[in-house]
Amino acid sequence: MIRLRDVGFRYDAGGANGTSAPVALRQLSFEVPQGGFRWLLGPSGAGKSSLLRLLALGARPTSGMLEILGSDIGHASRTALARLRRRIGVVHQDFRLLPDLPVFDNIALPLRLQHRPEDEVHDEVHAILDWVGLASRAEARPPQLSGGEQQRVAIARAVIHRPALVLADEPTNALDEYQANRLMELFRDLSGLGTTILVATHNDALIRRYPAHELELAQGRLVRNG
Amino acid sequence: MADRDRAARPGLFAQWHRARRADGLALRRALPDRLLPLLVAAMAVLAALALAGATGAQILSARWSSGAASMLTIQIPDPEAPATAKTTPPLTRADAVLAALADTPGAARVHRLDKAELATLLAPWLGQQNDFALTLPAIVELHMQAARPADADALARRLAATAPGTLVERNAEWGERLGRLADSLHSCALLAVAIVVGIAVVLIAATTRAGLAARRLPIELIHAMGATDGYIAGRFARRTALLAFIGGLAGSVLALPLLVLLSRVAAPFATSATPPPTPTADWATGWTTLAHTLPTPLVATLLALAPAAALIGWLTTQATVRAWLRTLP
Ligand SMILES: Nc1ncnc2c1ncn2[C@@H]1O[C@H](COP(=O)(O)OP(=O)(O)OP(=O)(O)O)[C@@H](O)[C@H]1O
Ligand SMILES: [Mg+2]
Repeated sequence: MIRLRDVGFRYDAGGANGTSAPVALRQLSFEVPQGGFRWLLGPSGAGKSSLLRLLALGARPTSGMLEILGSDIGHASRTALARLRRRIGVVHQDFRLLPDLPVFDNIALPLRLQHRPEDEVHDEVHAILDWVGLASRAEARPPQLSGGEQQRVAIARAVIHRPALVLADEPTNALDEYQANRLMELFRDLSGLGTTILVATHNDALIRRYPAHELELAQGRLVRNG
Repeated sequence: MADRDRAARPGLFAQWHRARRADGLALRRALPDRLLPLLVAAMAVLAALALAGATGAQILSARWSSGAASMLTIQIPDPEAPATAKTTPPLTRADAVLAALADTPGAARVHRLDKAELATLLAPWLGQQNDFALTLPAIVELHMQAARPADADALARRLAATAPGTLVERNAEWGERLGRLADSLHSCALLAVAIVVGIAVVLIAATTRAGLAARRLPIELIHAMGATDGYIAGRFARRTALLAFIGGLAGSVLALPLLVLLSRVAAPFATSATPPPTPTADWATGWTTLAHTLPTPLVATLLALAPAAALIGWLTTQATVRAWLRTLP
């Protein structure tokens, strides 16, 4: 369950010269129930990534009330925030894989942060590597992979720990149509199992193929919710 | 792939493999570099020397202010003449003074120098002869208990009543001066230890910050994935503590020969009774004499050096990493 009321967000001032960054989000109010799926739409610079950053607890709202997975972020302790983050899976627009770590260890990060036994980590990571079609690249480093392969590693890392909330920022922009469709099937299954999912995208063909509830941003404002 | 095959890695090796794997958080390379143990070792040597100075100064201070300071020398001219006070049987002046001294509160030992001791004492002036034509004054040493400083003036007044002309001489002056000197040496040494600890803290904090800056991305990432501050700081702190422990251990081993040398040089000042043990080539007795060569507090200090370095490293790293993480949301 996600709930926003009058949420505003502005990036920190750009440094010593005191110029403040533009307001990225203003007066956002909406809710997403548990297990809900939302497309997040809007032109470049509209604030999609900024909104996903707030929802991923990568920044605190400048104003308004934000509730993630039942917790009011304004009143949560650092430890509580960390605990919440472990229940969220994020596919970043720029992947954010660790270049020095093998694919296996990149994908294993969320499980190891939960201190899961290594046997389990081994089995889970291999299962998902099979699913994303990278079973033979477990020992490769991310820079040795193609863009689409890196994106699949990022997707695997975002869902391996069965998070309650999945936030995906243009998760199909490096994938071919077949892979993109498989990802959408996965999201549909996860949503059916109660995972809340938000997907930011510019991929109109995909939206037409998988119609769902849409949140549209323009210049940091919510201009459509339905 | 074969690398991951658990069946091929049974038993201990598999466990080791998994433990190594569990560092998959990419922090290994973010942790303080190898230079740290070297620097800590150097600082441990400095700390050991400063602590040796402190211990030595304390021992000397205790000895000087309790040894010389607590002894009074009493001269009784014309010792065989009858005392002023009329007693039965009549006492000589020397015996009367000895009797008076015996019930002085706080007296630990009263000793009248005998003829031979007097002769030794006077030999530089009178030469080695046993029969003196003139009557020598009696010399009495009064050792006070360390806790009770002697009130020389009151004692002199009391003895003058018994045997007029009796002199009470206080040896305390030099003892007190040396004691004060030793006390200030002790303070200086402790200050040096404090400075070494301060430098260690600054150095470890700087090393940790450099490590954090070098691996900013992985740390930000695992923070974003829900690693707690305590977890991240703990990883860093454990590593620093280990490196500091190794450094501290190396430092105390390096400091050992220096301390043995120092304590040999200082031994005559601290103890007059037991001469320093002579060096021996035999290792076994070498180690046992070593324990006797160094004062117990110093041995304890030496043993505590590595754990202390580890603790300082752990605390400093915890504080540094936690402060740094506070800049993240
Ligand atoms: N780290 C940052 N610091 C300052 N301003 C930022 C930062 N990131 C984004 N912005 C600004 O915030 C606004 C919204 O950016 P955001 O990345 O959320 O857009 P977006 O909808 O994700 O765009 P795109 O579709 O191109 O990914 C933009 O004006 C952008 O310049
Ligand atoms: Mg974006």
